Amino acid sequence: MTVASLTHTATNASHAGSASVEITGVHKFFGTVHALRGIDLTIRPGEVCVAIGPSGSGKSTLLRCINQLETISAGRIHLNGELQGYTDSGGRLHQLSPRRIAAQRRRTGMVFQRFNLFPHMTALQNVMEGPVQVRRIPRARAREQARALLDRVGLGGLGDRYPNQISGGQQQRVAIARALAMEPEVMLFDEPTSALDPELVGEVLDVIKDLVRTGMTMMLVTHEIGFAREIADHLVFMDQGAIVEEGRPREMLSQPKNPRTQAFLSKVL
Amino acid sequence: MTAGGDTTLGRSMAGSDTKGARGSVPAASVRQIDGVPLNDVAPPRHSGRWIALILLLVLAGQMAVAVAGNPNFHWHVFAEYLFHRNVLRGVLWTLGLTVAAMSVAVVLAIALVVMRDSDNPILRGLSWLWVWFFRGTPIYTQLLFWGLFAVLFPVLSLSIPFGPELLTIETKRVITAMTAAILGLAFNESAYLTEIFRAGFRAIDRGQTEAAQAIGIPKAKIWARILLPQAMRTIIPPTGNETIGMLKMTSLVLAIPFTLDLMFATNAIANRLYLPVPLLMVAGFWYLVITSVLMVGQHYLERHFGKGHDAGAGQRA
Repeated sequence: MTVASLTHTATNASHAGSASVEITGVHKFFGTVHALRGIDLTIRPGEVCVAIGPSGSGKSTLLRCINQLETISAGRIHLNGELQGYTDSGGRLHQLSPRRIAAQRRRTGMVFQRFNLFPHMTALQNVMEGPVQVRRIPRARAREQARALLDRVGLGGLGDRYPNQISGGQQQRVAIARALAMEPEVMLFDEPTSALDPELVGEVLDVIKDLVRTGMTMMLVTHEIGFAREIADHLVFMDQGAIVEEGRPREMLSQPKNPRTQAFLSKVL
Repeated sequence: MTAGGDTTLGRSMAGSDTKGARGSVPAASVRQIDGVPLNDVAPPRHSGRWIALILLLVLAGQMAVAVAGNPNFHWHVFAEYLFHRNVLRGVLWTLGLTVAAMSVAVVLAIALVVMRDSDNPILRGLSWLWVWFFRGTPIYTQLLFWGLFAVLFPVLSLSIPFGPELLTIETKRVITAMTAAILGLAFNESAYLTEIFRAGFRAIDRGQTEAAQAIGIPKAKIWARILLPQAMRTIIPPTGNETIGMLKMTSLVLAIPFTLDLMFATNAIANRLYLPVPLLMVAGFWYLVITSVLMVGQHYLERHFGKGHDAGAGQRA
């Protein structure tokens, strides 16, 4: 039994539909570029983990490794105790089939910086696509569920619009509804407000705040320090591919211990 | 915040309906939106356009007279053979060959593009080799070989290597002149279409695949439901080009020989009458008609796959 699966059994009693994420010794190389340098991070069920740090510090890469949009070069990632992407037989990893990887990805919902809505589908169709094609839910029920989700993100009346007919903030809220439609156990947000006009940031952050209240496990990469302070249970500061400092947001933001954290915060606060 | 766009739109529509206060502008026909009288703008004069139009009409008239009144064109022969049985049959065969060959080519090309993008090096290699071969040899030569296929391989048999034969067929029953023509044209075309399709798929943002993967959509469905409909937008215009090219390429099937297409039919009549010109005009007329029909089809295809891109882009909230 691995350490990760012990953690899993210990926290099993927590909120349904929220999983733990255990990242151990993860490295990522892009060619010779060492993008992640030995990341160890545990996100407990229901915890909201926010990663901050300068551009190029590896925050987004780490997020993309969690749902296997990037393969990791070393280390392990477990979701609720289940090794992601591989089976481990005595230290030698065997890559999972694309089908199994797709099944694992369904357990995480991802929201992208640039929304990545499907432009040839309406907002409603975007939200329905996963449930109908992957979870094989009957169309009528999927439509009902998608309508409810659009209502939940405040877009009840815009189901028939195409992505290019709605604002960036509205697109990002559709993208959140699309991710939620798969009923993920972990939600990952990759700089969800970075591509938005300033006056549209608030509406997206409000939707994320609502999600926080439901007790879902979340990891969020953001440059909105004030928002991080408000929602994070667990704040992580990354620099040059490593976690430099982590802890409770209030303490870390007011009294950062590491000089690099101090330098970064003095620039953005 | 969400309803903001809608209200403005609603109000402006209501505003244009009400023919209310004219303000201080005296003109009776000033257009108003939302009670705001719009600027009364006289468009710039385009006298150059009118001169060009008149010149072109005069030129066109002269050419029409020169051609229509010219006895060398034998217009009565043109009229006599325009709806001749063999010509009309040729039109149908040419259209049929074009549609059949293009359909096979499109299916092949989609498979070849997906293979080209595969993780499997064997599939990638096969796709590359196919395009290399069918694009690299002349279509006429390929059609000649398709015609000779039944001579080169009189029987086709399915057998276990160095073992017993399971199934034996006479080649000429399977590869008839028609199947040879369709396969010959389609295999050649598929190589060109593969490159067009590849360009179309490459133009799609990587984020589309990633978003679909993040939802857990399996690879085949990402191709079919996310990538293909988006690629269609950029693929259709050059594919329309290829279809029209194919229409005229069908005249090469005489290499097989396949003798029912439009070009062969009109040539046969021309040779019999010793009058090539009017029958070339007959062929040209029908090729233009078919091209026009295909262009109408293309227009509707483009409209269908433009959804979410072209349609309604202006009503951004």
